[in-house]
Amino acid sequence: MHPAGAAAAGTPRQPSKRRIPVSPPGMADPHQLFDDTSSAQSRGFGAQRGPGGLGYPAAAASPQEAFLADPVSNMAMAYGSSLAAQGKELVDKNIDRFIPVTKLKYYFAVDTMYVGKKLGLLFFPYLHQDWEVQYQQDTPVAPRFDINAPDLYIPAMAFITYILVAGLALGTQDRFSPDLLGLQASSALAWLTLEVLAILLSLYLLTVNTDLTTIDLVAFLGYKYVGMIGGVLMGLLFGKIGYYLVLGWCCVSIFVFMIRTLRLKILAEAAAQGVPVRGARNQLRMYLTMAVAAAQPLLMYWLTFHLVR
Amino acid sequence: MAFTLYSLLQAALLCVNAIAVLHEERFLKNIGWGTDQGIGGFGEEPGIKSQLTNLIRSVRTVMRVPLIIVNSVAIVLLLLFG
Repeated sequence: MHPAGAAAAGTPRQPSKRRIPVSPPGMADPHQLFDDTSSAQSRGFGAQRGPGGLGYPAAAASPQEAFLADPVSNMAMAYGSSLAAQGKELVDKNIDRFIPVTKLKYYFAVDTMYVGKKLGLLFFPYLHQDWEVQYQQDTPVAPRFDINAPDLYIPAMAFITYILVAGLALGTQDRFSPDLLGLQASSALAWLTLEVLAILLSLYLLTVNTDLTTIDLVAFLGYKYVGMIGGVLMGLLFGKIGYYLVLGWCCVSIFVFMIRTLRLKILAEAAAQGVPVRGARNQLRMYLTMAVAAAQPLLMYWLTFHLVR
Repeated sequence: MAFTLYSLLQAALLCVNAIAVLHEERFLKNIGWGTDQGIGGFGEEPGIKSQLTNLIRSVRTVMRVPLIIVNSVAIVLLLLFG
């Protein structure tokens, strides 16, 4: 409870935080993914707008007043708003069946410091010592409080930036056309899907008991887009030499990062005791970890080499 | 490279079709991948082969009817739009 309490107390001062003042319905969330600033802010704004805004509604009221005073249209408005509320309720109830919205919110509970430190870790993972994710009563701590926790913000932003940078690179070579952009996005997404399916299949075949969820996998596999962006940007600025240098550095970093992260998830028992991996079962898991980590540099090269000429 | 989501979908459909046409009696039993062979004991290590056999059996059971529908839709769409 300590980090959650301390961070929740410290965050109202930072303005960059809360856009979504929400808490999961009917559940007391001890982890406080997002701070509830709705009451404080609306009160402040309401007081500000009250005296200043009195002039405006009075001037615009007359055409609207005539419309609203009509009892039929009044009723129609009330009916319409109740219909909208019902529809919203229905959507909210059913959307959770298809997209686990509450679980997704966990992956977007990040802040600037976490993003900065995580990006540093992706480019230079060699000095980081403790790769364990901290737990709090059986659930992982939100990414805001633990740098080792996976998040979906960086992969999503990096993917979109990769598409934009690809468009930029194609544009500087006079090869740009809008459907090429869609092709790039589709291609990267298809490779990501293929990777996720291949890893899920291997985890099933090797009967690995892990708490690695699909969304976790997507998050880990999405971290390579950061290195790809760096490589392509350097390639645009300094030509092929810069591209190969930066891409090589990012490939090695991602390789080390993935091995150190996945080792704790897939080889949980062996890694916890710190013993070298023995036994057929553990060896297969080690091979799987190495294969996943080795696929990252390959894909990073494959998805970017045609952008840098 | 034209590796799009659509081609991934096509490849997935073809793969699932390939798994669905593996005949139990004529083929799987002859190569020892039948469902009643090597179910093994209750040890904690199912092994890769029994996991694969289980996977093939589950895919064949679950996807039998949906595949009919998806294949028909694919045939009609490919006939109409090439």
